[in-house]
Amino acid sequence: MASTIKREQNLDKLFSIITFSAAFLVLAIIVSIFISLFRESLTAIDAFGFFGFVSSTAWDPVRENFGAATTLYGTLITTLLALAMAVPVALGIAVFITELCPKVLKPIFGTAIELLAAIPSIIYGMWGLFTFAPLMGEYVEPLLQRVFEPIPIIGQLFTGVPLGIDILTTSIILSIMITPFISSIVHDTFALTPVQLKESAYGIGATRWEVIKDVVVPHAKTGIFGSIIIAMGRALGETMAVAFVLGNKHEIATSLFDASATITVTLANEFTEADTDLYLSSLFYLALILLGMNFLLLAIAKTFLARKAKS
Amino acid sequence: MSDQIMSVKNLNFYYQGDVHAVKNISLDIKKNQVTALIGPSGCGKTTFLRCFNRMHDLYPGHRYEGEILFEGGNLLERKDITELRSRIGMVFQKPTPFPMSIFDNIAYGLKLKGIKNRAELTDRVEQALKQAALWDEAKDRLKQSANGLSGGQQQRLVLARALAVEPDVLLFDEPTSALDPISTSKIEELMVKLKQEVSILIVTHNMQQAARISDQTAFMYMGELIECDQTDMMFTNPKEKLTEEYITGRFG
Amino acid sequence: MNNMTEIDKRKIINVVALSFSCAAATLGLFWLTFILADVLRHGFTYITPELFLNEAAPPGMAGGGLKHAFIGQLLVTFFAILIGVPLGILGGTYLAEYGRHRRIGRFISTLSDIMISVPSIVIGTFVYAIFVKPIGHFSGFAGSLALAIIMIPVVLRTTEEMIFLVPWEIREAAFALGAPYYKVILQIVYRGAATGIFTGILLAIARIAGETAPLLFTSFNNMFLTTNMNEPMPSLTVTIYQYAMGPYDDWHEMAWAASFVVTLFILGLTIMGRLIIRWKYKN
Repeated sequence: MASTIKREQNLDKLFSIITFSAAFLVLAIIVSIFISLFRESLTAIDAFGFFGFVSSTAWDPVRENFGAATTLYGTLITTLLALAMAVPVALGIAVFITELCPKVLKPIFGTAIELLAAIPSIIYGMWGLFTFAPLMGEYVEPLLQRVFEPIPIIGQLFTGVPLGIDILTTSIILSIMITPFISSIVHDTFALTPVQLKESAYGIGATRWEVIKDVVVPHAKTGIFGSIIIAMGRALGETMAVAFVLGNKHEIATSLFDASATITVTLANEFTEADTDLYLSSLFYLALILLGMNFLLLAIAKTFLARKAKS
Repeated sequence: MSDQIMSVKNLNFYYQGDVHAVKNISLDIKKNQVTALIGPSGCGKTTFLRCFNRMHDLYPGHRYEGEILFEGGNLLERKDITELRSRIGMVFQKPTPFPMSIFDNIAYGLKLKGIKNRAELTDRVEQALKQAALWDEAKDRLKQSANGLSGGQQQRLVLARALAVEPDVLLFDEPTSALDPISTSKIEELMVKLKQEVSILIVTHNMQQAARISDQTAFMYMGELIECDQTDMMFTNPKEKLTEEYITGRFG
Repeated sequence: MNNMTEIDKRKIINVVALSFSCAAATLGLFWLTFILADVLRHGFTYITPELFLNEAAPPGMAGGGLKHAFIGQLLVTFFAILIGVPLGILGGTYLAEYGRHRRIGRFISTLSDIMISVPSIVIGTFVYAIFVKPIGHFSGFAGSLALAIIMIPVVLRTTEEMIFLVPWEIREAAFALGAPYYKVILQIVYRGAATGIFTGILLAIARIAGETAPLLFTSFNNMFLTTNMNEPMPSLTVTIYQYAMGPYDDWHEMAWAASFVVTLFILGLTIMGRLIIRWKYKN
C-alpha cells in the first residue's frame, strides 16, 4: 500500500516536471532568440554601433557599408499608413456587427471577417502583385496624381511615375490584412457592454450613434487600444504580402508612389544572398531591431492592459 | 467513547495570509449518525468541513493547528492523503459528473483503488447505483454520458460514485442547494437510510433540512463553534442566546 | 424651433455615422470576395492533374508540376505538428493546472501572448543561426523546427484557456475520491477540454500551413522531390513566392494553382474549427 502511494506521488511529481519544462521552453526560446540574434549581430554592432547604424541611410553591399535608416523608415511608414486606413474601417465593421447586423447574418458576417484574417499573407502577396498592383498603377494612382499633385505641399506625396509597386499599394494591402484583427477583438469587447447601460442611455433619448459613441466605445477603450497594438505588431513584422509589392529599394521615399524597403522585405530578399560576414551580420542586426521593437510594443501593451484589468 | 468515528480537538485553520477561518473547535462526530453544521454564510462551516478530507492541501499558504482523530491517529498529519480521501468521501454543492459515461463515473474511484476485474466492477457499480436509488433510472443507459442526466440524477450519481469506494465517512457540502424540492427530498431520504453504513457530516444553510435529517447539530458563528447538541434539543431548547436568535430567524 | 434643429442635427449625425459603419462592413466583404474570387478564378483555370503528378520541369519547359512541393509541404508541416503540438499541450497544462496560482505561470502565459506576435521571419533567422549555420546546410528539419516554434505558443495558450473552462469543482470531486493530480488531469480534465484543444490545434495548423517567411532560410527550396528531411525541402509557399517572382508565364500559372490549393486547405480548416466550436457550444 505504502509503495503504491509513493509511486503515485513520484508519477505526479514527474508529470508536473514534464509540463513545467514544456511551459518553461517558451521562456527559454524567447531568451535564446534574443541571445543568438545579438551574437550574430556583433560584427555589425562593432562596425557601426547603435546610433550610427540606426541613423545611417547607407545600404551598400559592395562597399560593405550598412545602415538601418531606410528600412526602418519604410517599415514605420507602411505600418502607420496601414493603421490609419485600417482603424476607422475596423471600428466601423465592429459597430456594424454588434449594433446593426441582422441577427441571422451575424455568424455569417463574423465568419467572413475571420476568413479574411485566415488568408495567408503569401496569398495577399500573389493577389497584390498580379491583380491589385496593376489596377493601382493603371487606374487609381494616375487619378490620384491628377487630383492631388497640383496642390502645394501635399502634391509632393503624389509625384513620380505611378507603377503600382510602391508604398501606397503596400499600405492598402497591409491595412486589409490587419483590419479583421482589430475588428474581431473590438467586436468581442463591444459585446461585453452591459445591456442595462445601453438601455438606460436609450432611455434618456440618445440616438443609436450616441449610445455607441458615449457608452459602447468608452466601455471598450482598452480593448480597442489592445487590438490596435496587436495589429501594429502584425504590420511591423509582415513579410510576404509586402515583399511582392514594395520593390525593395533602399532609399528614403518622399512620395506615396515610390518603391521602398522594410526590414522584413530586406531579410526575405537578401538573407540567402549575403556573401560576407558583415553583410549577414547587418541583416541579423536588422532582425534584432525588429524583434526589439515588436517585443517592446507588445510588452508595454500587455502590462498596460494587465494594470487596467486589475483596477 | 466507541460511538464516535472522528474527534476534533482544538482545531484551528488559517488561509493564505493568516486569515483565521476556523477557531479552536472541538467536536465529536458520532458513528452511524448524521451531524449537521449550520450557521450564517461565511461562518466557516464549509472551511471546517473541508479540513476532514484535507481539501485545503490543494491550495498554497494554508495552515492547520490541533488535531482530528480518525483511525487512531491525527488525520491532519497523515502523509497518504489520497488513501485518506478514499476513506472519507465528499459530495459537493453543484453536481460534479466527470466527462465520461455513467458507468465510468462510478467505476472511476474503484479503478483508482486498483480494481480492474470487470465482473467485480460491474457488480460494485450496480450496488452503488442501487444504494443511491439511481439504478432503475440509469440501468439502461450506463454507457451514455453522465452529462445527459438531470441535475437531481447527477447529484445521486455523484453520491453513488462516492459510495462505490465504501468510505467510512461522507461529507456533504450543501448538497441540495442547487436542486428542486423533489430531488432534494430524495437525497434527504437517502442520507437517512445511508447512515446505517456510513457516518455523515453535512453543511447546510437550511435549518429545516438540518432538523429533518440530522441526529446531532453544530452551530457555527464567525469561525467558532457556538453550540453542539442533539438535534431535537438544539431546535427546541438552545442553550446559547446566539443559537436561539439564529434558529428563530432573528439574524443571518 | 431651435430645439427642433438640434434634434434634426443629431438625427443626421446618427444616419451619417451608421451609414459609414455599413460602408466599412461592405468594404470588408468587398475585399474578401475580391481576393477569394481572384484566387478561385485563377486557380480553377490553371489547376491540372499534372500539377499533382509531375515534378518540376527545367525552367522554360512545359509539363512541369509541383508534386515535390506538395510532398515537401506535407513533410515539413507534419514534423512541425509532431514537435509543436505535444509541447504546446503540456506547457498549457502546466499554466492551467500546476502553475495556476504561481507567478511563473502567469508570466509565461503573458510571454506566450507576446511570442505569438513575434514576426515569423525573425523566427526564421533564429533557426538559421542555431540550426542551419552549425550544420552547414538548409534542411527540412530546420523548416519544421521554425514552424514548431511558431506553433507552440498558439497551442499552449488555447490549451490553457480550454483547460480553464473545465469547472474547478470537477477536479475537487476527483481529488475527494483520492485521485492524484496527474490522473485528474490525464483522465478527467483532458476529456473535458478535448474538443476545445482539438479545435485549437486545427487553427494552429491552419496558421503554419500558410507560413512562408520562416521557411525561406530554413527548409529553403528544392526543385527535386525528396523525402530526406535532412536535405533542403521544397514547400508550396516558398515555391509560390519563387515562381511568382520568376519570369515565366507557366511559373505564374502554377503559383496561382498552388495558391488556390493552400487557400482552400486553410480556409477549410478554419471553417471546420468554427463549426466545431459552434456545435460544442450548442450542446
